[in-house]
Amino acid sequence: MNNSPKARPVVAGIDAGGTMTDTILVDETGTFTIGKAATTPKMESLGFLESAIEASDYRGISVQEMFKNVDVVLYTGTGMLNVLLSRTGRRLGLITNKGIEDMVLMGRGLQSWGDYSYADRLHAVTHQHPKPLVTRRNTLGVTGRIDHMGDEIIPLYEHEVEDAVNTLLERDVEVICICFLFSQVNSLHEIVAEKIARSIIADQQKTTELLCSHKVRPVIREQSRLNSLLIEAYATGEGRKQLESIEKVARENGYRYGVQTLQSFGGLTSIRHPNLHETMISGPIGGVLGARYISQIIENDSLVVSDLGGTSFDMGIISKGQIRIEQEPLIGRFKLNLPLIAMDTIGAGAGMHVRVDPLTKKVSLGPESAGSEPGPVCFDNGNHIPTICDCNAILGRLNPDYFLGGKVKLNVDLAYEKFKQSCVDVLGVENVYDTAEGMLKMLDAEASVALRRILSAQGIHPSEYTLLSYGGSGPLHLGGYSRGIGFKDIITFQFAAAFSAFGCTTADFQKRFSRSVHMEIPLVFEASEVKHTITGINDIWEGLKTTALEEMISEGHASDQVEFQPLFLMRYTGQLEDVEVFSPLSRIEDEGDLNQMIATFRHIYRNINRSVSDYGQTSVSIMEMGMIASVEKIKPRLAKAKLGPALPPGQAFKGTREVYFEGRWTTTELWEMDEIQPGNIIKGPAIIEHPATTLVIHPRDSVFMDEWSMLHYRHSQEGIE
Amino acid sequence: MDRNQLEEYKLLVDGQLPWPQTKNLMSSYKDRDRFFKILAIYQDKVQWQEKILLPIGENLFIVQKGKENIVKCTCGYEFGDYRQNWKLQAVMVVRKTREDLERIYPHSDVCDPSWMEIREFICPDCGTLLEVEACSPGYPITFDFCPDLEGFYKEWLKVPLGSE
Repeated sequence: MNNSPKARPVVAGIDAGGTMTDTILVDETGTFTIGKAATTPKMESLGFLESAIEASDYRGISVQEMFKNVDVVLYTGTGMLNVLLSRTGRRLGLITNKGIEDMVLMGRGLQSWGDYSYADRLHAVTHQHPKPLVTRRNTLGVTGRIDHMGDEIIPLYEHEVEDAVNTLLERDVEVICICFLFSQVNSLHEIVAEKIARSIIADQQKTTELLCSHKVRPVIREQSRLNSLLIEAYATGEGRKQLESIEKVARENGYRYGVQTLQSFGGLTSIRHPNLHETMISGPIGGVLGARYISQIIENDSLVVSDLGGTSFDMGIISKGQIRIEQEPLIGRFKLNLPLIAMDTIGAGAGMHVRVDPLTKKVSLGPESAGSEPGPVCFDNGNHIPTICDCNAILGRLNPDYFLGGKVKLNVDLAYEKFKQSCVDVLGVENVYDTAEGMLKMLDAEASVALRRILSAQGIHPSEYTLLSYGGSGPLHLGGYSRGIGFKDIITFQFAAAFSAFGCTTADFQKRFSRSVHMEIPLVFEASEVKHTITGINDIWEGLKTTALEEMISEGHASDQVEFQPLFLMRYTGQLEDVEVFSPLSRIEDEGDLNQMIATFRHIYRNINRSVSDYGQTSVSIMEMGMIASVEKIKPRLAKAKLGPALPPGQAFKGTREVYFEGRWTTTELWEMDEIQPGNIIKGPAIIEHPATTLVIHPRDSVFMDEWSMLHYRHSQEGIE
Repeated sequence: MDRNQLEEYKLLVDGQLPWPQTKNLMSSYKDRDRFFKILAIYQDKVQWQEKILLPIGENLFIVQKGKENIVKCTCGYEFGDYRQNWKLQAVMVVRKTREDLERIYPHSDVCDPSWMEIREFICPDCGTLLEVEACSPGYPITFDFCPDLEGFYKEWLKVPLGSE
């Protein structure tokens, strides 16, 4: 993909992960180049520029020339998440209903263990609630109550609001948040309180910001709505600064437009997006977006994606083109009602510490990882606890002189010494290499079990699904963790290490608005009921459409380019989980249309949960209505080439190296990934090297490059001989 | 012992170790001799010479004095044989009126004194609050813990009592 012909670059996608910042540069023909640099969490614009310079270098242009030419700069980072995790956000005050002031402290039970390992979940002594974002002292209750139907039970005591605002201003909070019960049904009290607060702030000539829950996220579930509001107030101030500094750097280098970022459900938006917390988790979902794009090329809309990085193994499923959206994810140990592309994660990665318990001799991986600082032992950077990466180095699977294209020299001897000391000797065994291989097999097994678990939980038969493997360490362990599951096909990419960034660039500009409702649609209904339901649905969609259009236009999109996709969240009445359905109709006219909505829901329900789960004769309820407004954007295009001979070209061959496979040293062929041509077949044992990743082909397995330059991994029993 | 590890354990014993590290210690493997490392830290903190056998509270230890094993406070006050309830030798404050209880649990959080009283056990020498128990009025003073010291050393620590 690198060193492509000189067409004008049009999209620059930059994904700052926990360790590396990847830049992918797409030109008008759809070909792309990739740059990588270390992430700089304190000042993200440094890593951003460094990475952009490298990607431009690969194209042979200056970074200024690149920024001058591109139409879209898309940045996804971890700035806001870092602010949240390190608790370095703004000072907040909260005004809520009298009597529920402790809601912030009490939180939800699962917030005290949500991201723990299985063992820690079982041991309640380790459970700890996340530190609240607003102090109890600055949480002030005021009298007033609206019930779940939206009726006013107690009027708002306005003088109490005034007192609360004055107290918070005296305490010099930076943001005042207002969150009342059931404001998603009736936001009257929040609107009144906001008005009062605004006038007091103006009178006192303060610059205190004001945020209301009905504006940030008018969606059911009080704790999640409150968390969304608080995180928006707490973390996005600093996050926005980081994004603005990135835009500044881009502009200083000649970029003409606003920088875009990605929302957690998969749509692009401006960095001036009002609810910036919606963009907090965006890196990992890039992979799923990329997979959706790949699914159109390989003509299989059922995929399993797997991203193996330094610290985690993320998995996602696309079933018959349907991406699963999680409506209430846990972020930084807070439950939010924020639509997020659903991914399952286990702590397993190449940076994972390998440990042996001196008492029981039990071997375990993680849960901690070495990160980029100090990195694995072989980086020779001060870490002495061996990692999976060290095991790979000891067994000859990593090239010590070609890690990150040679930027990092691996000290294999040191890795060997430390691994022997803290694992092999403690275990009391002889063979260092067998032990190291055993560790790799443990990681492969953990990843494989996790994959099987999500497959069986969804009732999916792997023979219908294609596995995509990416992430810096994906290709390194692909052969191990995919073995024996029986996928239809297994694919990885030359740009596996930057696949998430690639995926982000396949997104369109999108805005998503939604509103909680509760409409039961009975099996048999009266004509007047139908009319009432239909009017309700159409009115909400119209309202959302107007808001969405306004925001799109304010970001500079032409109104005739905006396309709308109405959606709704439906469930069989009495169930606890909703299914998100893209409505086939933009307006509901009669009972027939309503039935068509329900039929679409049933179809998707069956796709997600398999046909045996269908409910038959049960009424359904609409729980949320939404509208997605999108404007299409230029996307990278994989170049299609003619299939050549099976034998790779001479220049791709890099020689041989002794690599330890299945208990013995084996002479293994080495290949350069960027030199492999479509049609080539490489038989294992072999290692295909790339500056950013290493693909290990186990003995008897093989890899085939197709006309799109995708690499198909074939296990021996499914071989192509 | 590794210097960093020693510092970490010292902070743990003092209750100063930040939560993420504490959680990390809880979730990771225990070093074989952790018990003796912690004992050594306690031994360093106290002014007296008797050998600590087992900590039984933040400021209370079972120690070896001559041929006897006795309960001793950080300040040096001796409560006598560890098989006898040390609380019987302590100064005791009983909160059994609403007024007394409200000094600890303000507002409406206070318990009903006819159902529950709070007994505070204080060192007669240094005045440190050593233990608190909440019981129904009239309930005998509880004996929290009478360890099988010899069995613990022999079966679990694999060393004879007092030899380490």
